[in-house]
Amino acid sequence: MLALTRKPGERIVIADNIVVTVAGVKGDNVRLTIDAPKEIKIFRGEIYDAIVAENQEAAIPGKLPDLSMLISDLAKDKDKKDKD
Amino acid sequence: MKIESTRFGTLEITEEDILHFPLGIPGFLNEKEFVLLPHGADSPFSFLQSVKEPNLSFLLVDPFAFYKDYEFKLDDILVREMELTEENPPQVWVIATIKENIKDMTVNLLAPIILNTQKREGRQIILEQSPYSIRHKLFAESTGTKVPGGGK
Repeated sequence: MLALTRKPGERIVIADNIVVTVAGVKGDNVRLTIDAPKEIKIFRGEIYDAIVAENQEAAIPGKLPDLSMLISDLAKDKDKKDKD
Repeated sequence: MKIESTRFGTLEITEEDILHFPLGIPGFLNEKEFVLLPHGADSPFSFLQSVKEPNLSFLLVDPFAFYKDYEFKLDDILVREMELTEENPPQVWVIATIKENIKDMTVNLLAPIILNTQKREGRQIILEQSPYSIRHKLFAESTGTKVPGGGK
């Protein structure tokens, strides 16, 4: 892994088409601007990690819920809404 | 061909039943083939079972059955890559996380599953600059008409 020290206003160029600029530093917060082709997906690390964690929690094979119960509740909700 | 599922036992499927996820699913990047098992004709639920991993299945929910105002814009590159068109629009699902109490079930509206049913290809995408979160309660909120922060 490469670690670089940059000052506000300085840039890092990745390949030919990605430019990361340190736009500013305020206390703990570092503001970056990123210029990259549209097909390069950029996410805050914690969002991707949260989706990985949620998928892992969602993928539980054993507990099969009784969905028919939920569906009848759903129908009831709908009836109620229709009456409202 | 036969596949094994912890949840559903042995399933007889054909090549045409297989949905290809070329990028895997975040957290399961090596899982590239799944089958979609509808829960019932009128049910908003389906199951997504891995072809190679019996233990891996997801409960999917038709988001529009619960959140009528759910919407997002697919980016042009994805539409092109997945070969989606007006004649062949995407099928949208969201992944549910089952809690101890089933009524506390949540769905991930921030990372929907997009299917091209003709091409048999799927992806889980992450919405950018979206008002949605990864945990919307399916039932507490479904009695209202709007997702908090949603419907834009």
